[in-house]
Amino acid sequence: MSIYLPIAEMSVNIFVLFGMGAAVGFLSGMFGVGGGFLMTPLLIFYNIPPAVAVATEANQIVASSFSGALAHFRKGTVDVKLGVMLLIGGLIGSTLGVYIFSSLRSAGQLDLIISLLYVVFLGAIGTLMTIESLNAIRKSKNNDAPPKRKTGHDSWIHKLPFKVRFRKSKLYLSVIPILVLGMLVGILAAIMGVGGGFIMVPAMIYLLRVPTNVVIGTSLFQIIFVTSYTTIIQSATNQTVDVVLALILMVGGVIGAQFGAAAGHKLKGEQLRALLGLLVLGVCIRLGYDLVVTPTDLFNIIGSMDGGGH
Amino acid sequence: MKNLFSLLILSVSIIFANLSPAKAESLQMGISVDQVPVDSSFNGAEIVIFGSIETTEQAALFRGEYDVVIRVEGAPEDVIIRKKDRIGGIWINNEAESYESVPSFYAILSARPLNLISNSIELGPVSLGINNLGKNIPVEGQKTLIMNPGEFSDALRRLRIEQDLFSEIPGTLKQLSPSLFRATLSIPANVPIGEHKVTAFLFRNGEILNTNESSFKIEKVGFERWIYDLAHEQGLLYGIMAVLMAIFTGWAANAIFRKN
Repeated sequence: MSIYLPIAEMSVNIFVLFGMGAAVGFLSGMFGVGGGFLMTPLLIFYNIPPAVAVATEANQIVASSFSGALAHFRKGTVDVKLGVMLLIGGLIGSTLGVYIFSSLRSAGQLDLIISLLYVVFLGAIGTLMTIESLNAIRKSKNNDAPPKRKTGHDSWIHKLPFKVRFRKSKLYLSVIPILVLGMLVGILAAIMGVGGGFIMVPAMIYLLRVPTNVVIGTSLFQIIFVTSYTTIIQSATNQTVDVVLALILMVGGVIGAQFGAAAGHKLKGEQLRALLGLLVLGVCIRLGYDLVVTPTDLFNIIGSMDGGGH
Repeated sequence: MKNLFSLLILSVSIIFANLSPAKAESLQMGISVDQVPVDSSFNGAEIVIFGSIETTEQAALFRGEYDVVIRVEGAPEDVIIRKKDRIGGIWINNEAESYESVPSFYAILSARPLNLISNSIELGPVSLGINNLGKNIPVEGQKTLIMNPGEFSDALRRLRIEQDLFSEIPGTLKQLSPSLFRATLSIPANVPIGEHKVTAFLFRNGEILNTNESSFKIEKVGFERWIYDLAHEQGLLYGIMAVLMAIFTGWAANAIFRKN
């Protein structure tokens, strides 16, 4: 059954999109990630204009992160104070990101930059994640004791001024790295159409040394606001949010996530991370391949009446 | 009223265009719809344009000396076409050309290939055919397709043909009787929204004798229209509504699946 998307201005198969939403939802439920970094490239492979894919994906992530954050609030695994600090940086970053997005789009380089950012970030994070989890699997086989979490006072990040106490995270930390991290993730979220959890979570664990039990909830908490803000700003400046597309993906996504979460309980943490690392690397290689291989058509055309809210 | 108006245009064009000294021939034309609605199930459409050749020269009519060509044109738009080059190992949009007043949709409906109907089709006061696009736009300083021939304008035509937005297919118009004709226009799902001009040209011996103009509209209707208008006119409100929809969906999912 085909459905006409009013903003993308194209006819698409509703079951294909619903299936894509459900499949990505399954993976995100299983791995505890937002899934934007998988969904946006998939939409672009499906010929949705990149500008529409990115902005609409931000809208979808609002739904999945809200659903996820509610569960974490119930368990009490959200550090609201830390989340708000990250959020302040995130809103600044998102504003910058939407502005960069508009200027790249008029310069005709948006698609390239989106692909490049994906290749760089997915490549780096996928590699780190795969290596780290393979090491963890090897260690657990040798029955070694897991390494102790570092106390969090030895790195340069923890020597910066303007320190604030975060009770829930048991941290006494400068606001500078928190704001900067929030801002960088905000910029990426706006340009790449992701929540940024796949960057935020490792950065919180390895750089800020936030305890793992509050990392996911706090990250989801701030993602709700950053992606909501991105959705509104993209709507107001670029008119590229397609609510019909977003709704199909949301419904598919939240259903898929439930089954994914159930499947995720059957696997060990390090096995999950290894699988996710390989998946991230797979998407990275696919996008990188498209940048390097000679395109089937060297020319591309943009009319002032083409879809995608010109 | 509409017919009166087109008659008026017709007579004005007869007087000023001075296409042919003897005006013994004319064209009548009708379109199956005035409006093509674009709703959630829109996946392209087909419309029928029919009409008749009216002439005092019945013998010539029965010998099949007349040809009808119908041109369908969407609103003109500015187009940027970019070419990728390999820079540092990756393919990057590099050179670009821009063109003004390129029709957003262009279809030629005819019984025979244009070059068989007239061999001077690009030289007359009207130019017909995808390869002659832009020839009849005399506006000073405009960069039209024909002025910059080369790989960019070729690629523009090729891409628009691949997207089904430009077409020129012989056989899309059928002569039902010596005087009656019927043409079928396929409208793709990616058709630009807006008014589309339909012009019929009557040919004899390669010369344009007369023309007739009409139009139809491609319009978003119902929910699609509401969404599109809201997004473009009230972007901020639209964004806030999109967020509320997402929050509700997230909450509903959480509520439903928690109970299970």
